[in-house]
Amino acid sequence: MRLVLYTGKGGVGKTTTAAATAVCAAERGVRTLVVSSDMAHSLGDVLDRELSSEPSPLGPNLDAMEIDPRAEIDRHYGTIREYLVELFRYQGIDEVVADELALFPGAEEVTALLAVEEAARSGRYDFVVVDCAPTGSTLRLITLPEMLTGVLRIVPALARMLSTVVSPIAQAVVRAPIPRTAVFREAQRLIDQSAVQLRERLSLPETSVRIVATPERMVIDEARRCYMELSLFDLRCDAVVMNRLLPESAGREDFFQDRWTTQGERRRELEELFAPVCVVDAPLQRDEVVGLELLAAHGREIFANREPQALLSESPRIRFTRKAGGHCVHLPLPGATATDLEVAVVEDDLIVRAGSRRRAIPLPPRIARLPLESARLEAGTLVVSFRRSAAKGGA
Amino acid sequence: MRVLLHTGKGGVGKTTMALASAFGAAEHGHRVFVLSTDAAHSIGDALGTSLGSAPRQVGERVTVQELSVLDELDDAWAVLQDWINVFLRGERQEDGEEELVAEELLAFPGLEELIALRAIRKVESGGEHDVCVVDCAPTGATLRLLRFPDVVKFFMENVFDWKRRSMRAIRPVARRVGADRFLPSEEVFDAFERLYEDVADVRQILLDGDRTSARLVVNPARVVVDETRRSFAYLSLYGVATDAVLVNRVLPADAASGYFARWAERERQELGEIERSFPVPRLELPLQRAEPIGPAALTRLARELFGERDPADFFSRSRPIRLRKDARRTVLEIDLPNISADDVDVVTAGRDLVVRVEDAQRLISLPDSVLGRRLEHVQLRGGVLEVTFAP
Repeated sequence: MRLVLYTGKGGVGKTTTAAATAVCAAERGVRTLVVSSDMAHSLGDVLDRELSSEPSPLGPNLDAMEIDPRAEIDRHYGTIREYLVELFRYQGIDEVVADELALFPGAEEVTALLAVEEAARSGRYDFVVVDCAPTGSTLRLITLPEMLTGVLRIVPALARMLSTVVSPIAQAVVRAPIPRTAVFREAQRLIDQSAVQLRERLSLPETSVRIVATPERMVIDEARRCYMELSLFDLRCDAVVMNRLLPESAGREDFFQDRWTTQGERRRELEELFAPVCVVDAPLQRDEVVGLELLAAHGREIFANREPQALLSESPRIRFTRKAGGHCVHLPLPGATATDLEVAVVEDDLIVRAGSRRRAIPLPPRIARLPLESARLEAGTLVVSFRRSAAKGGA
Repeated sequence: MRVLLHTGKGGVGKTTMALASAFGAAEHGHRVFVLSTDAAHSIGDALGTSLGSAPRQVGERVTVQELSVLDELDDAWAVLQDWINVFLRGERQEDGEEELVAEELLAFPGLEELIALRAIRKVESGGEHDVCVVDCAPTGATLRLLRFPDVVKFFMENVFDWKRRSMRAIRPVARRVGADRFLPSEEVFDAFERLYEDVADVRQILLDGDRTSARLVVNPARVVVDETRRSFAYLSLYGVATDAVLVNRVLPADAASGYFARWAERERQELGEIERSFPVPRLELPLQRAEPIGPAALTRLARELFGERDPADFFSRSRPIRLRKDARRTVLEIDLPNISADDVDVVTAGRDLVVRVEDAQRLISLPDSVLGRRLEHVQLRGGVLEVTFAP
């Protein structure tokens, strides 16, 4: 099953682009599901249909759904959540407040991907399109496995503190609800199922991210950071959609002269920044693109001869190479500058910090044992060299 | 210190408006600090420069900072982090877990909000700035931010003291069985208490209508106006007054024909809708011929948007939550424009009044004068929620 996640800065037209992609694919006979994970839910507005958290059929080959993170978390992880709510409530925090506290950061994204897992297992779809929340949250999505591990390590630790230490000694004083073993079992399941499965789903060759941008300076700056972060976490990016391009007739109007000129420059800049990832053009229409018919027409314009569900191009991925006297790790970090970067080896992991993001990349054991020789940035790729240790003398 | 919160739907131009207000206020002689609390920062992009996470002066009397949660965390809560690590270390012998890293701490609900609030407090206590312009995350996150002090206050008042006392009682026993390393130390409690004081201070600032107001940034587009209407009511529910609505990217007359005729018509409808929806002054800024990037362009933008006026002025004054005497009854009023009565729910809970509006909820501490009085009547009339207490 092909999976495409649309992301980008707020207001660039992610929802419209995701919907147009889905409608266009369905029209060409691909069994398609389009999912929104954004709490603000504008997918229903764009499709001009009432949607729910179950897939609703919109036409031949086309289903759509809007996820309700609260309900989904209850469904998947009821036991943990009930315990958390109980714990907070016991501490005097009102139920609704507790409810919200128990909705951990990243919950929207986790539930969206769990819904995708379900769609994949159902075998009903060839193509799933996800309309993600704006970039800030998408960054969370790509660091989800780390995030989940954090939640899981903290929650059981705190719970164990209450149950193993406080309660046997002073049960009379502190009467906190004791987590049942079911909670720990479910925590384990959460780690296994979510962190591992989601990581797997995101790294499948059928999964890719598409970034939506507009020909504006601030939007492109953010798209560039987003692309670098996707690369850092080794996610495929198969296209960047340049949305709201002025068509020539609009660009000829006096007021838009400047924008028409800069638009061409921005498009070239985007192409250079993202090469070899392809840039797909989406025009600004004369009117709002709402409803299946207009979305289909918009989709045909965007994809023209391309297949909306195809992997539109390959982005560079992490590579390990041999060289005389050692090994190299090549990590593409398009748009990164040397001052943004920090590199270290800790145990078997290569730790790379790029901007505000940090990732631990597991190294193959034969490389992890070698001493780090150098790290440099070569044409947008971080090259880390390891020296083969001298055969003799070493411990 | 004057605090200007800028929020709105994603992509409407919050950052550009916040910076224009800052440069404009600086022209009027104020010393301005611009704080971005949105994890997806764009202050640097709007200034056309790259910023670190430390405060940086970018113009005469203008300092900006893109808050890095990770850096602030390292700086502020070493004690908490140590404690959590000590606890995890107890487990480590079994499963070989490593130290908790800052990224994992981010999993704590509310932590990001806490850090943003603490940053506002730091600007205030630094005493070097007259105006703090906050470039907030999109509306949902901003509401979580405003609500957070309520949650903390409730926790501290109802649980904290009691818990600290019980920990003191447990500690000697725990020490005897060698389990005391699992208990939070006094320092942890102290750290929590300082944290609470910071949050309580910020709460004071944010709820003080003489210092703080919100500016909602909108575009004349249906999805934007729909979402912002709700935000206005939610802000009001949390006690923050919106003193102006900034309407960004309005197609100017000379662009509103030809290819854009249909868009211009939709905009006209939405501008009317904006006028009907927000009972505060509206300041309009037309779509620019070129993108306003950098201090010079942003200063020009401020002149176009605010004219001769000082952006740090209050463009309107209101107290979104207030008490009124009606004969012998006391009436609590909350401004909730554009909300339907079906979406409002009011109950009393001890010393608090719980008001729920759609997904948002607020605990309002009741003044002594109405404590114990029966809730007589609740009605939503002309955009104002009236909660009447029996005499």
